[in-house]
Amino acid sequence: MDGNYVALAVTLLIWVGLFFFLMRLDKRVKELEKRS
Amino acid sequence: MIVASFATPAPQKMIGEASRIFYYHIPQAWLCVIAFAMSMIFSIQFLRRRQIADDDRAVTAASLGFIFCFLATVTGATFAKITWGSFWNWDPRETSIFVLLLIYAAYFALRNAIDEEQKRAALSAVYSIFAFVTVPFLIFVVPRIVPSLHPADSVVDENMRFTMGPLVGTIFGSSLALFTGLFLWILNLAVRIKRIERARLEKEF
Repeated sequence: MDGNYVALAVTLLIWVGLFFFLMRLDKRVKELEKRS
Repeated sequence: MIVASFATPAPQKMIGEASRIFYYHIPQAWLCVIAFAMSMIFSIQFLRRRQIADDDRAVTAASLGFIFCFLATVTGATFAKITWGSFWNWDPRETSIFVLLLIYAAYFALRNAIDEEQKRAALSAVYSIFAFVTVPFLIFVVPRIVPSLHPADSVVDENMRFTMGPLVGTIFGSSLALFTGLFLWILNLAVRIKRIERARLEKEF
């Protein structure tokens, strides 16, 4: 069961990281769209 | 959904803990089919309207489909190592997804080989339509007509009845929705970035 929690932590880290990366990218794209 | 996929009992008792990969592997394979289908639809749109924005959408969808297809191959190989003892067995399912990866790798090779924009878009649109014809055959037909070690009744049985219990079905449905949302978000962002790049290039010339 401990292995499951390690896998859960890694998966959560990847998803949360991806989510924040996409949020930041979305914000920057919106700024660029406003400028152009 | 992510917490539930690890904190609830394994979806298939016979396979055990390895069956949890099912919440990630199946949505990836599903998105690979959806992305390639979208690429084909945008390709048809390009051939009808001749607008380069449709080609941008088609190539972006195909790129994402390729990434999800690769992820499905990697998660499938991991599952194979745990349950069958080796990462790659040339099982019909593994062979068919490998052929699919090669078909779409050729799509990108074709695009890179042509410099002229309209010609590249037109030829790759035609290729994309023919490439998608093989997708249902390679994903749904081949693994069912040739004996395979791959679990065949994870979602529906041979009578097309849903095989999941309510808890597993809810987690699986949420996973499917999460992955589809992620795919649509990335597709939208990538297309918008391409549009900005194109507008900048047009300003420069």
